[in-house]
Amino acid sequence: MIENFNRYVLANLDPLLGGLWVTIYVCFWSFLLALILGLFACLVRLRGGVLRYLAIPYIEFCRATPILVQLLWVNYVWPEIFGFPQTVIGAGIIALALQASGYLAETFRSGFEGLPSGQREAAAAVGMSRWRVLYRIELPQVALVATPLVINQLAVIVKSSTLVSVIAIPDLMYQGLKIVNQWYEPIEVLTAIALAYFLLIFSISRVANAVYVNFQVKFGLAGYG
Amino acid sequence: MLAALQGALNPALFWEYRVILLTGLLQNLYIFAESAVVAIILAFIVGIARLSPRRALSGTAIAYAEVFRNTPEYVLLVWIYFVLPLLLTKLLGMQIKFSPHLAAVIGLGVAYSGFMSETVRAGLRSIPAGQAEAAQSLGLSGFTILRRITLPQAVRRMLPEIVNQLVSLFKATTIVSLISVQDIMYQVSMISVAEMRPVPLYTGAALIYCVVIIAATQALQSLTQRWRTRGWA
Amino acid sequence: MNQVRPIIQVNDLHKSFGAHEVLRGISLAVEPGAVVSLIGASGSGKSTFLRCLNYLERPSSGEIIVDGETIGAIAGTQGRRAAEPSSRDIARMRSTLGMVFQQFNLWPHMTVLGNVIEAPMQVKRLPRREAEDLGRQFLAKVNLLDKQNEYPAKLSGGQQQRVAIARALAMRPKVMLFDEATSSLDPELTTEVLEVMRDLARDGMTMLVVTHEMGFARDVSDRIVFLHAGRVEEDGLPAQVFNAPLSERCRQFVSSALG
Repeated sequence: MIENFNRYVLANLDPLLGGLWVTIYVCFWSFLLALILGLFACLVRLRGGVLRYLAIPYIEFCRATPILVQLLWVNYVWPEIFGFPQTVIGAGIIALALQASGYLAETFRSGFEGLPSGQREAAAAVGMSRWRVLYRIELPQVALVATPLVINQLAVIVKSSTLVSVIAIPDLMYQGLKIVNQWYEPIEVLTAIALAYFLLIFSISRVANAVYVNFQVKFGLAGYG
Repeated sequence: MLAALQGALNPALFWEYRVILLTGLLQNLYIFAESAVVAIILAFIVGIARLSPRRALSGTAIAYAEVFRNTPEYVLLVWIYFVLPLLLTKLLGMQIKFSPHLAAVIGLGVAYSGFMSETVRAGLRSIPAGQAEAAQSLGLSGFTILRRITLPQAVRRMLPEIVNQLVSLFKATTIVSLISVQDIMYQVSMISVAEMRPVPLYTGAALIYCVVIIAATQALQSLTQRWRTRGWA
Repeated sequence: MNQVRPIIQVNDLHKSFGAHEVLRGISLAVEPGAVVSLIGASGSGKSTFLRCLNYLERPSSGEIIVDGETIGAIAGTQGRRAAEPSSRDIARMRSTLGMVFQQFNLWPHMTVLGNVIEAPMQVKRLPRREAEDLGRQFLAKVNLLDKQNEYPAKLSGGQQQRVAIARALAMRPKVMLFDEATSSLDPELTTEVLEVMRDLARDGMTMLVVTHEMGFARDVSDRIVFLHAGRVEEDGLPAQVFNAPLSERCRQFVSSALG
């Protein structure tokens, strides 16, 4: 089995590492996009007046649709209707971001709703504008509570990113399956890939946990009890 | 763009292939049901083992949960479908091969048992220890205490979260199409290729899942609400 | 005078939690039918001692003899440990000892009657009918027969504790252990529980009572044991311990406790 490992994993380290890089690239950008979309959707839902009735279906759709379905839909349907995304990588990033933005919107929402309302009133009483209150008082606290969950969502994105291989994005999974299909020796390659994903996701989870514990100790926050 | 939108929301193609698509959906339901059973059984075994005073048992349970919570389901599925039969063949000397359906059930079941075992553990730990102590002082055996005192109460507390995880499991059954289980997404892909018209089908699939999941989530929410008011959960 | 064999005999009991030694060599004998009250400051080891008797805590060393049967590790001259008691030994010992907890520890998903009959049905394998008759008998004894079909959440603290007492009695133990049975109760509710305990004592039950209720200790006990820092500092008749204690610490404790 060791020779096999050398033959199929080490020999192919170049494409495999290339795949890993693509995975990281896709996950990074979709995480960023998800944060923006999620926060935006959350604020619209909470404070958007009539626009709320657009935000809520958006959030529900993002959460209720399986990621594979979203991936295929964005990749095949959107170019026809909206004209973008023009690349599979774009489709992958958008689809992963959509899925995560739904959960992030809800995470932020419970963060906002957990804030004691007295704080907002006190800030308004000293004459702070709405935007100021949001920026200086509310968002920082929501960020503190939400951060462990947000980091966790990154782990979820990495897990879901394995599916982008389906729309021919050359990520780690894609490269691995390619080697397996070529050589019919799946044991070493797939186990190595599984291990790689596990280590990546496990590290992210550990960071999320450490942040949670650290914030609890430092700020005495545990999701407002 | 409007024409494209109209094309996207045209249900005609869906209707035409409705039998095949529904049969595919049925596959999703079968796999969901079977892997749910696997996941729940494993979750209880691992969750209970997690609380054992014996370090070997609880350590294994911790490792189990960590491995399966931090590994992508697709990777697990592929590994179980391709690698596990080969390893078992080498180990047992018999030719072992998994059908896609079997690999899917094992894969999803094992993957979600990781999350559920944490729910089981949290539920068991939420029962005050004094109740078990009182039972011990009356002479009840550990197994009886689990069966009569701890589990009946803990299960009620676990239910809302387990229900959430089952909804996630159902969403995850879509990936079984990738190891050629002929579920709804598999059929959708096949038909799109044959008909060269992916747009209405993929849109339709997205909408159907959306509707089903939202309806199921709402129904389960009101169910768990009823449980909560009745003091069950 | 006829020497009656003590129903509980404890020799040189030690218990440590990690580096912290809570019990530092306690020896005690309890005769059948005696009511012994254990008093002392918090942290003196009273509860730990009681919990060692029915093995809810495992003693570090020392000998516990319950109704003639030795359980617990024996520290020989070389400090050798005897074999760990088997779960059957422990179960047998626990059936001789009934325990009542400070937090009542009733099972909220069972009715009052359900709580009382659970152990007789599971451990003694009584059929349900018999167990229910037995249960009602003991519920009547604590004056709670009318609540038999209620759930514990609907009962007051005093009522819950009385149910807990009935639950322990239903196993017909030879000794009843009370671990600060009234400490969690509002003052108005302690009376009903103390009444039940007084009745039990009057009926001849052997009782080991960890308590802060000095009135009860003085009036109902045959003997008072004062614990300090894991050791027995005073052991005698109530009159002596309360009025003329030999130990200075005991005198201080008693005078501050009695206000």
